[in-house]
Amino acid sequence: MAHFDIRHLTFSYPTAPDRRCLDDVCLTVEKGEYVALCGKSGSGKTTLLRHLKSVLTPHGIRSGDILFDGKPLAQADLREQSARIGYVMQNPDSQIVTDKVWHELAFGLESLGCDQKVMRLRVAEMANYFGIQSWFHRDVAELSGGQKQLLNLASIMAMQPDVLILDEPTSQLDPIAASDFLNTVRKINRELGTTVLITEHRLEDIFHAADRVVVMDEGRIVAAAAPKEVGAALYARQDDLFAAMPAPMRIFYGTGHQGADCPLTVREGRSWLSAMAEGRVLHDTPGEEAPYEEPEDPALQLKEVWFRYEKDSPDILKGVSFSVPRGSLFAIVGGNGTGKSTTLKAICGICRPYRGKVLIDGKPAARYKDLFRGNLAMLPQDPQSLFVKKTVREELGEMCRDTAQIAAIAETCEITHLLDSHPYDLSGGEQQRAALAKVLLTKPRLLLLDEPTKGLDSFFKRKLARVLRRLQGGGVTVVMVSHDVEFCAENADLVSMFFDGQLLTTNTPRRFFARNSFYTTAANRMSRHLFPGAVTAEHVMALLKENNL
Amino acid sequence: MWVGACIDMRYDAFSRCHPAVNFGFFAIAIVLSVILVHPAYLAVSAVCAAAYYLALKGYKGWKAVLGMIPLFFVVALLNPLFNAMGDTVLFSLFGRPFTYESLVYGACIAAMLVSVLLWFLCYGAVMTSDKFTSLFANVIPALSLILVMVLRLVPSYGKKARQISGARQCIGKSGSGTKREKLQGGITVLSALTGWALEGSVVTADSMRARGYGAGKRTTFQVYRLTLQDGVIALLLLLFAAVTIAAAAAGAAQAAFLPSLHIAPVRGALSVSGLGAWGLFLLLPTLLHLREVILWHTLTSDI
Repeated sequence: MAHFDIRHLTFSYPTAPDRRCLDDVCLTVEKGEYVALCGKSGSGKTTLLRHLKSVLTPHGIRSGDILFDGKPLAQADLREQSARIGYVMQNPDSQIVTDKVWHELAFGLESLGCDQKVMRLRVAEMANYFGIQSWFHRDVAELSGGQKQLLNLASIMAMQPDVLILDEPTSQLDPIAASDFLNTVRKINRELGTTVLITEHRLEDIFHAADRVVVMDEGRIVAAAAPKEVGAALYARQDDLFAAMPAPMRIFYGTGHQGADCPLTVREGRSWLSAMAEGRVLHDTPGEEAPYEEPEDPALQLKEVWFRYEKDSPDILKGVSFSVPRGSLFAIVGGNGTGKSTTLKAICGICRPYRGKVLIDGKPAARYKDLFRGNLAMLPQDPQSLFVKKTVREELGEMCRDTAQIAAIAETCEITHLLDSHPYDLSGGEQQRAALAKVLLTKPRLLLLDEPTKGLDSFFKRKLARVLRRLQGGGVTVVMVSHDVEFCAENADLVSMFFDGQLLTTNTPRRFFARNSFYTTAANRMSRHLFPGAVTAEHVMALLKENNL
Repeated sequence: MWVGACIDMRYDAFSRCHPAVNFGFFAIAIVLSVILVHPAYLAVSAVCAAAYYLALKGYKGWKAVLGMIPLFFVVALLNPLFNAMGDTVLFSLFGRPFTYESLVYGACIAAMLVSVLLWFLCYGAVMTSDKFTSLFANVIPALSLILVMVLRLVPSYGKKARQISGARQCIGKSGSGTKREKLQGGITVLSALTGWALEGSVVTADSMRARGYGAGKRTTFQVYRLTLQDGVIALLLLLFAAVTIAAAAAGAAQAAFLPSLHIAPVRGALSVSGLGAWGLFLLLPTLLHLREVILWHTLTSDI
């Protein structure tokens, strides 16, 4: 018997009765299956998932049936649904209810009215399984985003659900925490047999783990099959979503190959390439990029910047020095908590370095009278921090009264159609661009971006890249802190590695990533034994074509 | 040696007792310190409170304890200035009599204030918020849950407010300048914070319902367990408190100050046992702390 059986589900919100958010959706989910749901933002993924738990189901006009274990879902009461259907949401912070880790773990069990003995055992079990023992007594406020989301998962698993539904659980996490989290989900599916239904924009991390991939577009299911078949179907449809497929798959189809041996992972990609290249002398064009040289007249220069938060606390920045050439896109990559964001704050003067210099156009930042008017601006990691008004238009109006200018910036950031929406109603990528528009109205010559691709799907990433390119064309210098190796490889002019409070090396993306063996793109890891200089999927594809492979 | 700094409250034996024992102790100590306005009882209370506070905080505690001395003198000396009652006039100030009785009364009030303050400082260090909420989760579950949620939200609002004002600073909306501009900046941050908080509360509500909130009667997970040692300590505390109260009821702690002094002398079995029980009651946490320090000291020197 199927776990979930969704039959001809159609749904529209009362505010827009003509627009079908879900349009005749039919889907069965078997017990123990791992189903990945993908689609662009606004394709109805979240709406569909929320229908699988009655308390979260949105109000609106609905037809069709949802059966859970053969019975209509509505027949299962709150108690049964709470215990058996676990639901993890996007925002790690807001999902947490209590102030202590142990209390959060027990919250669901408390609601179900379990007795002390059962609770003790289940909480202990979960703390062990998720490796939470060492922070069991901590305040939740002290946890990192990744730990918070793991706690949310653990507190749901404590109720021992049969189904686990996850709605973009990693969109607020950095890549390492995200892949940790997704590995845990996979482990739960494999070891406990819990059915998993997940939406995710980081398809590379879940594609190979999924038994089935369901693709949604405008409220309809357009494909539902094994990952490899879905890849083929998306390529055949020339779907926008194909760009979100794992790099090995994109390279495979992008070079005109067809068939069932399509690689999904880097390992499969490597052996596929090796098999093709066997016995042939490959011709590898070295990267044509000129080597990086320190610019003579940098837009931004940091000289030996040292910073710590308090007198007795350890140094966060330990002599950061770098210079950013005018008009370039300068990307700073590196692990969490190494001081990348603090560097941006030091440039802005929010964190005042106790030693060293920050020079903007050769002049110390502290000596600018109106540093944030026409010189420097920063887009914070959480774009919501910038929203204070009821509509996007008012947001932009806060910065500048000139409607023509607002219209021009809205055009640049591709948000003209969103001007009258409430900023909180926008999707992650739209919020990002609305916040960027607000920042750009200060007309900065130097723009700082803190994790601009966090939570964006591939479609919105490409839009952001386009916007950034347009800005560069207008003479803006962009400094970006990012975890997103692929995005930096494709779009940055210079990439720098941040580690232990210092900027280690700076180079052009091809030279930079080709020299790394871990901290590099999937395309590079897959092809480096044949084409050491290829960094992006496009490079690999071009080289394969050149070699007639 | 026992004043050695203990950075973490987990190193204090009494703090590791069940929250009910902690709470009961402080409730009785504070209430009796207020009721028993007898110089000897107050002195014992103040000294024991200071001792326990130093045991908890180590060298860092001296600052607060020494700070109590000027407070004591200010309150003690101010009382006669406002209260001219009393038979024995010491001298006249601004044409008003400064009486001996009033001075003694002031000293007692000051001692009471100091001891209560010190007990509250100890309470703050021992009764962490999670102890408090878990203690009352059984009695008033709904209120306790609200308290837990508030305790989580307050720091997160503060953090978010700093984040918003930092983000605004970086687009030239620092909210500095004239008072009016500052006020406007503050209001903008507050309204943004409200919007963000409302958005978050919708998610929190969803997350609560998704985990069965409202599905039936809630139970509470008890992270603290009542052990045998807790029982013994509670019993001892109750015994000492009972003796103190009985002695006080029999008149051992009686004191009248104005217009003339009538303070029950500390003499006789009743009076001595009352004061002794009071002292033992208040010293018990410190003694437990000391025992542990000595135990570990001997254990480590044996190695």
